[in-house]
Amino acid sequence: MTSIRPMLNVSGLTHRFSQIPPAVLEGVSFSLNAGEFVSLLGPSGCGKSTILKVLAGLIDATGGQIQWSNGTRPKIGYVFQEPRLVPWRTVSENLALPFVLSRQTVPEQAIESQLTLVGLTKEDGRKLPHQLSGGMKMRVSLARALITKPQLLLFDEPFAALDEMLREQLHEELLSLWGKLGWTGLFVTHNIAEAVFLSQRVLVMSTKPGQITEEINVDLSSKRIPELRSSSDYQTLVASISQIMRKIYRQSGKVVSS
Amino acid sequence: MFLVLFLALWQAAVVWLKIPNFLLPSPFEVFHEAIASREKVASALRVTAASSGLGLMIAFVVSQMISVVFALSAFVRMSCYPYAILLQTVPIVAMAPIIITWFGYGFRSVVIVASVISMFPMVTATTNGLLAVDAELVELYRLYQARWWQVLLRLRYPAATRYIITGLKTSCGLAVVGAIVGEYFVGVTSGSQGLGYYIFVTGQQMKTSLLYVTVLASTLLGVSYFAAINLLAATILRRYYDPQSIQSR
Repeated sequence: MTSIRPMLNVSGLTHRFSQIPPAVLEGVSFSLNAGEFVSLLGPSGCGKSTILKVLAGLIDATGGQIQWSNGTRPKIGYVFQEPRLVPWRTVSENLALPFVLSRQTVPEQAIESQLTLVGLTKEDGRKLPHQLSGGMKMRVSLARALITKPQLLLFDEPFAALDEMLREQLHEELLSLWGKLGWTGLFVTHNIAEAVFLSQRVLVMSTKPGQITEEINVDLSSKRIPELRSSSDYQTLVASISQIMRKIYRQSGKVVSS
Repeated sequence: MFLVLFLALWQAAVVWLKIPNFLLPSPFEVFHEAIASREKVASALRVTAASSGLGLMIAFVVSQMISVVFALSAFVRMSCYPYAILLQTVPIVAMAPIIITWFGYGFRSVVIVASVISMFPMVTATTNGLLAVDAELVELYRLYQARWWQVLLRLRYPAATRYIITGLKTSCGLAVVGAIVGEYFVGVTSGSQGLGYYIFVTGQQMKTSLLYVTVLASTLLGVSYFAAINLLAATILRRYYDPQSIQSR
């Protein structure tokens, strides 16, 4: 892959919605290198999405520091859990939205090429969101996040609502796009297998308060092909992270069968 | 089918039970009266259509302005919304004479009464619609540096369309009621008599057949507004949502 170049350093990030403990996030520290794909893995309510929102500038953290390598927040793309397409805008109009909102000229050519990039046709571009399948909606959402050529892409459990087969297919398509375009990815999930398949590093979070408790390097083949899922290395890693997650669930009071 | 059966039973009951006309005219008598006084009723219908239509339009514009302020400022909303609800509970028959005292006996007062009664359902519906927008879409807009007016015009307003139309559907009937109540109180001094005036006069003079015709004309007016708004809704919402989900609403 690319040479190691830091993009972001987060130190002591703390966030609370009220003065009553526990905090949503307490002393979260991690770094991201440019071109890296990292997953944030943790149980529901551990503050994973809050980290993404703080990084995107949608909310201000109550404490801690975020240092961007070039001093300012880079161009960011955000993929939500649901596709979050604007229902009255066609697919093409949804792709044009980032330019319209930031009051820039809409590059028609870029919209067409973006459709092709995520496997959609020009005809799909004229459809309204309700005319698309779940997988197509998610592809449009991904294309919209990519259209401004962001340096950092934030994913907030984008495939959680999709069926297993479609999810696996989209994992491969996502990694292919990452390989082609070279953005940095921070992917929030509570699915261990998803985190291992997609990432180079997995940051495991505990809850109440949300903290990063483990950092796991995914030393698997850089070619994430479907066959990798049945390899023993992959399955061993998934099993060992699963053990860690069980401990976290037990500590947080969530019932997990042994 | 039900209507035909109902009218037949009504006609039979009036004939067999020899019910006097001033108590309950038969459908046949009402039909005859409608033909005989069609010009008078059509003229009254035009007057009421004008006052209720204008009242509804004014109410729509004002309600949208109030709702935007309510949606943009939580402080204003929390301070003023309870009063808007309070005002909504004041009976229009109590409010109409006050409005007529302030604005005089005439068309203007009728329009204001129609506006006042039809405004609040639209304020409530539009405010709810503007606030019910998907929070993650608002975040998406903010992520791309959308200005407040872009969030309002390009997100909150289109997303609130369904709510606005629901409010309009409630208000269109109320505008007709408001205009008729206004005309009822304004009476003959307005110069041009609407349906409310005829309802008042025919009731007083026991001209029950004509009273029924005017009531039917009022209903026709309300239903026409409702149908027009439904047509508008179907045209606009077809673009926004799955047609099947519109039908099920």
